[in-house]
Amino acid sequence: MPKAPEIEPDWELVRKRNFVERLKHEKGGLAVLDDLPAMIAAGYEAVPEEDMVRLQWYGLYHDKPKLGHFMMRVKVPGGRLTPRGLRTIGEISQRFGRGHGELTTRQNIQLHWLEMARLPEVLATLAAAGLTSTGACGDNVRNITGCPVAGLDRDELFDCRELLREAADFFIRNREYSDLPRKHKITVSACVHQCNAPEMHCIALLGTLRDGQPGFAVKVGGGLSTWPRLADDLGVFVPAAEALDVLRAILDVWREDRRYRLSRARARLKFMVDDLGPRRFRERVEARLGRPLLDGTAPAAPASETDHAGVHPQRQTGLAYAGFPVYLGLMNGEQMLRLADLAAEISGREDGREEREVVEIRLTRRQNFILANLPAERVPEIVRRVAAIGFPLAAGNLRRLAIACTGNPFCNFTVAETKGRLRQIVDHLEAAFGEQAAALGELRLNLDGCPHACAHHWIGDIGLQGTTLRERGAAGERLQGYDLFLRGGLARGAAIGRPVLRRVPGDVVHLAIERLCRAWIDGREPGEPIQQFFTRHSDEQLIDIAGVPAEVLAR
Amino acid sequence: MIHEPLSQGAPSALSVPRPATVSAAPGAPGARGVPAAPGAHRDLLDEFEAGQLANDFDAATPEEMLEWALARWQKQLAICTSFQAEGMALFDMAWRIDPAVRLFTVDTGRLPQETYEIMEQVRERYGAAIEVHVPEARKLERMTTHFGPNLFRRSVEARLLCCSVRKVEPIRGALDALDAWVTGLRRDQWASRANIRKIEIDHDHGGLAKINPLADWTAEEVWDYNRAHDVPVHPLYARGYTSIGCMPCTRPTGDGEDPRAGRWWWEKNAPKECGIHCPLETGGLEHELEAMLHGGEAER
Repeated sequence: MPKAPEIEPDWELVRKRNFVERLKHEKGGLAVLDDLPAMIAAGYEAVPEEDMVRLQWYGLYHDKPKLGHFMMRVKVPGGRLTPRGLRTIGEISQRFGRGHGELTTRQNIQLHWLEMARLPEVLATLAAAGLTSTGACGDNVRNITGCPVAGLDRDELFDCRELLREAADFFIRNREYSDLPRKHKITVSACVHQCNAPEMHCIALLGTLRDGQPGFAVKVGGGLSTWPRLADDLGVFVPAAEALDVLRAILDVWREDRRYRLSRARARLKFMVDDLGPRRFRERVEARLGRPLLDGTAPAAPASETDHAGVHPQRQTGLAYAGFPVYLGLMNGEQMLRLADLAAEISGREDGREEREVVEIRLTRRQNFILANLPAERVPEIVRRVAAIGFPLAAGNLRRLAIACTGNPFCNFTVAETKGRLRQIVDHLEAAFGEQAAALGELRLNLDGCPHACAHHWIGDIGLQGTTLRERGAAGERLQGYDLFLRGGLARGAAIGRPVLRRVPGDVVHLAIERLCRAWIDGREPGEPIQQFFTRHSDEQLIDIAGVPAEVLAR
Repeated sequence: MIHEPLSQGAPSALSVPRPATVSAAPGAPGARGVPAAPGAHRDLLDEFEAGQLANDFDAATPEEMLEWALARWQKQLAICTSFQAEGMALFDMAWRIDPAVRLFTVDTGRLPQETYEIMEQVRERYGAAIEVHVPEARKLERMTTHFGPNLFRRSVEARLLCCSVRKVEPIRGALDALDAWVTGLRRDQWASRANIRKIEIDHDHGGLAKINPLADWTAEEVWDYNRAHDVPVHPLYARGYTSIGCMPCTRPTGDGEDPRAGRWWWEKNAPKECGIHCPLETGGLEHELEAMLHGGEAER
């Protein structure tokens, strides 16, 4: 059956079938800002639900229940924050929210409990510090991510921070690109470790050199959510100076084809790439550009995943960067302020034109941060002081690498505990393995509360997705369970995991995970990654391994 | 026509439904659930399979969708209806494919007489035994004794409690015994429904499959179908109702009036979208209900 209609639908049909297209046509998402004063004057109760949807264009989602509190997603392109930027976010969290804050898997920071009446102040405060939440949600180019040690790392092919900034600036508030068929995720980096997960982005620009000249290979059509797909190599080489034009042409090909606006269930770029295949998709891009692209090949995937944690000398003599774990990705407003103060103090100033000297806070994909441009001789002192803020460098791999989505109590989609459950699982594994915890290596736990996969459960060493059980609690309440996804991963073994264990009760899921880990440690070939161990065992074997003791089941 | 949507490894429409992983592996964690009745099978999609099917079926007609789902789940599938236009269209389509298709509804105890009339009409017209689920007597007794029969007018919380006892819990009970259910959700109804897929896993209700065959239909197409097939129409539509639920909580809306004014119009400080835009079928109602009645479970 053809998945995309053969005849391109007209706008009338698109708007008839697709509520969001109709809503955007009546009033664009960005336009809601002009109405904000009137909305505030009328009071939250009187504001139409449609305008609540439009607020997504400013990075705002309703917290749960939908009674007037908002989550705000602040974009941090490339994950790069100055001390002043972080201080501003911390101040907003404390002044306008309730001190909460969380780092996301796409280098954003999310705040909660914001009230509509304070939004103009919040947005102005952000803007004054050179930050924005515009386009962080809704049908926009979302935060453009990159390697968190861009410009610092000794192995980096070349520095592409300028391009990343240019692309981010170009798409933000650009009306043409603020009415996309759906959300759109771009990543740009020249990190040899490909730490930015190019496999699962709509568009990934992968730095490569040709005759010593910097340029990019392009991967397209990756994404997770309910239809996970690894990106395809477009087979091109794009000189760095033409990269933004190519990004635009790819977006144009997609956003101008109304076939991908009829159904939001198939509106992401990955569906178009899958329908056409990379070769025909490339032809469409070339036609849109009006010229052919040079042939090229994407750099080979690295052997394993890298997150740049720990202390490393920088390319710049005398400077070092240090990657600190943030357990569960939670960083509250007070911690932001203290970290910003520390960074400013080390820098000797807040902000600077010579950015190499200012201590930057770089956000990572695994919800951690890196302090950049540290004077090498002061690193031990800085590590002690960051630990005092609540981020010990030696927190252990498990805590560092475990990620969970926002979940309860804030998210309207989640059906299960996320960060709280992850804490329980990690704490249990630490206690259960004790001295042996090192044997777990760099185990990546990715836990989500719903199928949207904000925490990438499809590609964790062990991925978890929340669900509910058929069985009820004593008072008839819903009980939480988790599907366990195994065999997924990024880098050389990039693969989409499968839900091998289904509906494991929430109160025993930590035991199932412990057993899977023990079986791997005891049964692995020398150096065998957990993904490979899971791949060479059948579903039945893995279910048997994870079997939870009868006395627990009887509880 | 039997639809064959997947090229690789998907169970064909006519294959014997396989037991879910859970029952295939005694001692596995999932086996903790209530044991299935003898002879009953569990054929539960997993998330990956559901995603692939949803993509393959995205342009399928409602009839194709139903034909496939009925062949796969047979008696483990049922259509849920409150006798509004969407549910009636779906039932008519499904009945033409398989007259033994199961249809269930909830009698909340506060339905308008017209709903009972159309129930009779459906029984007669299709020879169908409508499965009627009712609230748990003791809970209802406790609730009305304690808060009175019209508690829904007191506060949003009280109304949510009433919805929970009279509607949500009976539907959950019905879903517990199924492997798949069919809803009349449509994408053009509201922003949060614009993303629904024709096949999803219903993680709000124990992970059964949720089939939304009318996802890409407009209201007009539903009415056209019903007219063309002489499908019984709920009498309250003719009196200006746009959404039909419990009698005290729905009312007709005038021309040009927002249909949202047809439900819980007296409420102040109700959660946004808690009216007609976040129903039980999307999980939205239950999320609001749990957050409002039980508070955030993990206040960070």
